[in-house]
Amino acid sequence: MSAHYPTLLVTVPLLSAFVISAAGWVNKRWCFPIAVAALGVSAYSCVGLLLKVADGGVVHYRLGGWPPPWGIAYYVDQLNALVLCVVSLAALINLIAAKKSIEREFPEKTAPFYTLYVLFVTGMLGITVTGDAFNLYVLLEIGSLTGYGLIAMGDKARAPLSTLNYLYMGTIGACFYLLGVGYLYIVTGSLNMADIAHLLPPLYHSKAVLTAFIICLVGVWVKMAFFPLHGWLPNAYTFAPSAASSLIAPLMTKVMIYVMIRLILTVFTPQFAFGTLLVSKPIVWLAVAAIVMGALLALKERDVKRMLTYIIIAEVGYMVGGAWLGNRAGMTGAILHIANDALMTLCVFLAVGCIVYKTKGARFEDIQGLFRKMPFTMAGFVVGALSIIGVPPTCGFFSKWYLISGAIQAGQYGFMVALLFSSLVSVVLFFRIFEIAYYEPFQDHHGETHTHHASLMDEAPLGMVVPLLIVAAGLVVMGLYTGGIVSHVIRFVIPKGLV
Amino acid sequence: MKVVGLIIALLAGSLLVYATADFPPLGDPNSPASVHVSPRYIEKTMEETDVPNIVTSVLADYRGYDTMFETTVIFCAGVACFLLLRVYRREEPQERLYRHVLTGVTIHVKAGKLPPSPDFERIDSAWTPHDLIIKTICRLLIPFIQLFALYVIAHGHHSPGGGFQGGVMLGASVIVLAMSQDLRTAVRRLREKADALMCATGVFIYAGTGALCLLLGSNFLDYSALAPVLHVDPIMARSHGIFMVEVGVGVAVMGVMIWIYNNVSSMGKYDEGL
Repeated sequence: MSAHYPTLLVTVPLLSAFVISAAGWVNKRWCFPIAVAALGVSAYSCVGLLLKVADGGVVHYRLGGWPPPWGIAYYVDQLNALVLCVVSLAALINLIAAKKSIEREFPEKTAPFYTLYVLFVTGMLGITVTGDAFNLYVLLEIGSLTGYGLIAMGDKARAPLSTLNYLYMGTIGACFYLLGVGYLYIVTGSLNMADIAHLLPPLYHSKAVLTAFIICLVGVWVKMAFFPLHGWLPNAYTFAPSAASSLIAPLMTKVMIYVMIRLILTVFTPQFAFGTLLVSKPIVWLAVAAIVMGALLALKERDVKRMLTYIIIAEVGYMVGGAWLGNRAGMTGAILHIANDALMTLCVFLAVGCIVYKTKGARFEDIQGLFRKMPFTMAGFVVGALSIIGVPPTCGFFSKWYLISGAIQAGQYGFMVALLFSSLVSVVLFFRIFEIAYYEPFQDHHGETHTHHASLMDEAPLGMVVPLLIVAAGLVVMGLYTGGIVSHVIRFVIPKGLV
Repeated sequence: MKVVGLIIALLAGSLLVYATADFPPLGDPNSPASVHVSPRYIEKTMEETDVPNIVTSVLADYRGYDTMFETTVIFCAGVACFLLLRVYRREEPQERLYRHVLTGVTIHVKAGKLPPSPDFERIDSAWTPHDLIIKTICRLLIPFIQLFALYVIAHGHHSPGGGFQGGVMLGASVIVLAMSQDLRTAVRRLREKADALMCATGVFIYAGTGALCLLLGSNFLDYSALAPVLHVDPIMARSHGIFMVEVGVGVAVMGVMIWIYNNVSSMGKYDEGL
């Protein structure tokens, strides 16, 4: 069976989506177990695949039995095996944590919600596993369409409009990518990534290839909300239901960064991206702007969830900048940060989900006295926050370390300063929250101030807190095993030409 | 802001046009797209899949995996419409309109009351004319539309057509019924639950065929694995496999078209349509 892991990890959630959709008309209680089982199988296949790839190198899979470039082929190396594991595990943990809030927010529509949830995960996994540039686009459509549906279910008044905005931007981004693939097809005649890479070198100076690269890049930048194309993200993620925002926020942007790195490393070569094209420096400066603007915009927010959305924008700047530094340390940092950032974003969004479940909001007024009221949730939040700030031994520290050393090696001191600046801003951001949540007395909805400490503990349900704490522990474990991940997985991804 | 947008659009557009300078000439038989992968599709389709229509074999076999996800995209759209629009707790309107079937007299009936005699039929609150001609013609046409749709699905191997086109026609036939009569009549013919199950079943047939190949020991969607089950040779099995997934696509597309129409036209209430 292990030979079929690459297809199982996508098709099992896909098939389960149809079963869930049908089961919802018979008995709604079946939907959740089916979804968990499907994502469980998928996560198992992903982990199995990572171990297999770490052991014996690249895995190929021919869909329909046709050889590439005529048919569609999967191509799994260390890079996408790592991202696959992160995506599937994050989706599984979030699904378990989100059960309560889904059932409370949409009691009658759990079945279609779970259906779209599972299909979204299918889309993200499919984008990551595929070795075909057009297949990637089709899966991107699935990931986006389901994402719009899930996000629009949030805040009744504001979610639909922000989703419409996201839909316009997202569609433009996806179209740009498709257009780029079309240009590549016209000049190479192939859609298979490895085959395109093989056919491209004599064409590197063609205007069509240059344009194709640029529009593909801009397309993925729109989807990952890279500054200044980030306009859709804060509203969409803030007004989304907690179950959806803690799914989409960690995965969508990270998977798109994976796509960008895949384009640079596999479809085009690093020599072309960093050598032939003289755009690395300007892109790193854009990343600097993304980091600084994300951090500053986060400072002015008075709502925890909204503040986190701006932090995501800054984090996207980290990874894009790291990838475009054009050296080994920067690329390592960017790839490591995909995994780390997915987990820490998941951690803080799960914590916000718990808070919203209990207090109905995450504005700064709502979180007063929460350390006393929800100690475990806040403990998880603190670990996530420390990781975003970059405090060892949490994993955020290590990827930032690689990024900073890459910046110094490349002589991009602006990027280094931006990283340090945003870390300092994160300290301010999170310690402000800790202060409010720790020192200010908890106010209930009648405006009465409680000063008695006893009997105030009112923690979110166990099903939500336990996954949060698992992810928080995972952040530390990831941090401790960074060396192993870099030397056994990421090291093989980066081509030898990159020093 | 508008000016900035215009400038950006013009710049992006001119970049795209500028890049076409390096394209091979239009219709060039030696362009990369015509010499790299296409020859195999054109020359080998018949001997490898036993399907005379190259478009069908590329769509449903060589690149069948993409098509499976395209069908899933349609399914996603249906589920998303349902999730966002369907309302279960609806408020009854103050009054409803009923029309006497024979005379065409329209009366208002207060909420919770019934019309005076069974000769009255309920009509939508937006005025619906007594359109005998449209109703009759649609009733006459719908069976033929459906028959032709089935032909389009079944004949996709040989002529332009296939699951998507046939499915849309099947969906349109029911939507025509809903528009010429009213939404309630159409929903009575095809209940919401049946329609939703049809959507899921259709895509499940496609993905399930792929999974069946997997269970029979081949790669996902490698239809030649179906040969022992269908009692034909592996090449013919590919042709049959393509037909199976085309049927799945047809069922799914039909279901989704109707599902989206019902939800959008009644704003999720399933009470009064267009």
